[in-house]
Amino acid sequence: MNESTIFTLTFILYIIAALFYLAFLFSKKPGRAKVGSAIAIVGLVLHTAALVIRTVESGHAPFTNMYESLSFLAWASVLAFIIIDKKFGVPRIGAYLLLIVVGLVALASSPLMPKDATPLVPALQSYWLWLHVSVTLLGEAFFAVAFITSIMYLAAKEPDKKDRMDSVSYRCVAVGFPLFTLGGLVFGMVWAYKAWGTYWSWDPKEVWSLITWFVFALYLHTRIVMGWKGKRSAIIAIIGFLAALFTYFGVNYLLAGLHSYA
Amino acid sequence: MKRVIKFLTSVKLAIVLLIILAAASVLGTLIPQGRSAEEYAVRYGGLSTLFIRLQLTGLYHSVWYLALLGLFALNIIVCTLERLAPKWRRATKPHVAADPKSLAALKVNARFKRSAPLAVIQSEVTGLLKGARYKVRAEAQGARTSLLGRKRIGGIFGSDVVHLGLLVILAGGIVSGATSVRAHLALNEGDIQAAPKAAFEVRLDKFTTEYYPDGSVKAWKSDVTVLEQKKPVVSKTISVNHPLTYKGYSFYQTSYGYNWQNPTVEIWAKSKSDAAFLKKLILKVGERALLDDKDKTTVAVQRFLPDFVLGEANAPESRSDQPNNPAALVEGFRGADKVFSGWIFANYPDFAQMHAAGEPGKETQTDLSFELKSFDSAQYSVLEAAKDPGAALIWTGCVLLVAGLALAFYWPTWEIKAVLEESQGKTDLVAAGIAAKSREAFNAEFEKIITALRSSK
Repeated sequence: MNESTIFTLTFILYIIAALFYLAFLFSKKPGRAKVGSAIAIVGLVLHTAALVIRTVESGHAPFTNMYESLSFLAWASVLAFIIIDKKFGVPRIGAYLLLIVVGLVALASSPLMPKDATPLVPALQSYWLWLHVSVTLLGEAFFAVAFITSIMYLAAKEPDKKDRMDSVSYRCVAVGFPLFTLGGLVFGMVWAYKAWGTYWSWDPKEVWSLITWFVFALYLHTRIVMGWKGKRSAIIAIIGFLAALFTYFGVNYLLAGLHSYA
Repeated sequence: MKRVIKFLTSVKLAIVLLIILAAASVLGTLIPQGRSAEEYAVRYGGLSTLFIRLQLTGLYHSVWYLALLGLFALNIIVCTLERLAPKWRRATKPHVAADPKSLAALKVNARFKRSAPLAVIQSEVTGLLKGARYKVRAEAQGARTSLLGRKRIGGIFGSDVVHLGLLVILAGGIVSGATSVRAHLALNEGDIQAAPKAAFEVRLDKFTTEYYPDGSVKAWKSDVTVLEQKKPVVSKTISVNHPLTYKGYSFYQTSYGYNWQNPTVEIWAKSKSDAAFLKKLILKVGERALLDDKDKTTVAVQRFLPDFVLGEANAPESRSDQPNNPAALVEGFRGADKVFSGWIFANYPDFAQMHAAGEPGKETQTDLSFELKSFDSAQYSVLEAAKDPGAALIWTGCVLLVAGLALAFYWPTWEIKAVLEESQGKTDLVAAGIAAKSREAFNAEFEKIITALRSSK
C-alpha cells in the first residue's frame, strides 16, 4: 500500500469515528463513543504510518508544504484529543474535534494543495525543521482542543458540564502554551539565527506567533492572577486559537514575508 | 500619585499592555513595514504622511512601541518583586503552626480520632508523608502539634523564572540593537574582504551551486578561509544553516548573484539550405570563431545580456542580474567586414533574425541561423557577516523562559497540613491539603494518605 492509499483510508476512518461520536452526542450511549475512540485510534495509527512512509520516501520531515503540514496538524489534533480524553474523560468533544480533523484532511486532499514531495530548499535542510514544526503544531493542536471546549462551554447549559469544559479548556492551554512557546518562539528563534543570522526580524509570521503568545499570556494572567473563569476565559481562548490559526494559515496567503514555506 | 504607582505595579497594567501590544503588533502586519514614502503615498494617499509621522511604517522600532515594551518590562519587574518576597518566606520559613478550624475550612480536608498517643500518630503521619516524598516540618505548641508536609516547592517560583527569562530576552534585544554589527559581503571567487569592524579578513575560495535532478537548487556552498594578517587560520564550507563562527562573528550564506562581466556563451550555427550543417561554438564575449572555411566567415558574440529588454530609445539593456531573458548579440564577419548581426534569445529560438550590417530592418542574404543554447558565468556569493553580543542573552532568557514554564505547569507544589491534639489517650487529627495545580492527582494522593492513616492499627 502506498502513502496516498493509506492517507485515504485514514480519512475514511476519521469520518466514521466522527459519525460514531455524533451518534454518541445525540443518543448519549457511551458505547458509541468507545467505538468512535477505537476507530480514531486505528486512524491515528494508519495516519502515523502514512507520515512515516512519506518521510522515508521523501527523505525529509513530513511538513515542508501546506499539504504536509495540514496532514500533520490533523494528526497532532487527533493525538491531543486522545490524550485529553484518556486523562479527563471528555468524549463529548470527539464529535467536534473529529469534524475539524476531517475538514483539515479534506483541505489537505483538495486539488488546491500540491501533494508532490518536492526536494527541500536550502533553508529547510536542518534538523530544526523537525523540532520547530512538530512542537509548534502539537502546541496548536492543544489550542484547537481548548478552542472546541471553550465553544462547548459557551453553548452548554448545565453548570456541571460548563465547569468541566472550563477546566478541560484550561488544561489544554496549560499543555499548549509551553509547547507553543518552546516550538514556535524559542526553536523558531534558534533556527532563524542559524539560517539567517538574526533571531528575530519582525517578519509577519514571527509577529503573529508573538500575538498568539500575547493572547494566551493574557488568558493565563486573567485566570490565575485575577481569577477570571468561564465565559471571559472561553472567549480569550477562542481568540487565541484564531490567532494561532491565522499565524499558521492566514499569514501565508495574506501577508508576504520570509517564512514562505508553510 | 499613589494611584499612578499602584496602577504601574498592578497586574491590570500587565493585562492592558498585553492587549495594546497585541493590537499594535497586528497593525504592524497590516501596514507593510519599512517601504519608501512614495509607496505609502500610492497605497494610502493623504493618510501616508500621518502614518509615517506616527511611525506606523516602522512600527516595531518606533519610539512608542519600544516605550510600551519598556513599560511592560518595568511592570514585570515590579509585579514579580512584589510577589517574590512573600513567596521566598513561604519557601524558606513557612508557618508550620496551624489551627484546626482554619484547616477544616479548606476544600480538601479530613478529620478523625484514633486511640493512640500523639507521638505514635505523628510518626505515622510523618512516615506516610515522607514515603510520598513530602518534606515534613513539625512544631509543638502545648498539647497540640502541627505538621507541614510539602513537595515540589520550586513550582511556586515558575512564574518568576518565566518573568526573569522575558526580562533577559528584552535585555538581549536591547544589547543586539545597540551593539550588533552586520554587513553583506559580496564575494567573487578569490576576493578578500574585511569583516565589519574586525581585524581579520575572509577570502572566498570557491562558490558552488548544487542542483537537484529537477533543476531546483539543492545547496549553495562557499568555501571560505579566514585570514589574520594575510595568513590563513581557518577554512570552512559555509552553506545555508551551516554558518562559520570565528571570534564572535558568524558568516551566513544568504544570497548569491551572477557576475556577467565575462560569460561563456554556447551558440549553434545552422544553415537554411544545408540541413546537415551544424556548428557548435563555445565563445567568450568578444572572441571570434571561424565558421566556414570556404568564404572565411567568422562569427563573434559581441554582447550578452542576462535579462534583455529594450530601454530608452530602443537600446537593448539588462533589466536585472537574473537570467530571465538571456540574449546574445551575434555578429558575422567576412575578413574585416561586418556582414550581418542580430540578437538571439535563449527563451525564444525562433525570434532571431540576422540583419545585413549597416542596414537595420533589411534581412540579410546570409544562409545562417543561430541559436543561443546555453551560457555560463561566474556566480558570486553573498555572505552575511554578523556579530551579535545580544544573542547569548537571548538564549539564556529562552532557557529560563522554558524552564520557568515547565516549573509553573509541571512542577506543582503540594502541601498537606495536619494538627494533632491528644486528650485522654486519644489523638484528634485534622488535616487539609493545598494544591494550586493538578488538583485531581493531589486529591487522590491526599485520600490515599488519609485512608492509610485511618486504617492503620
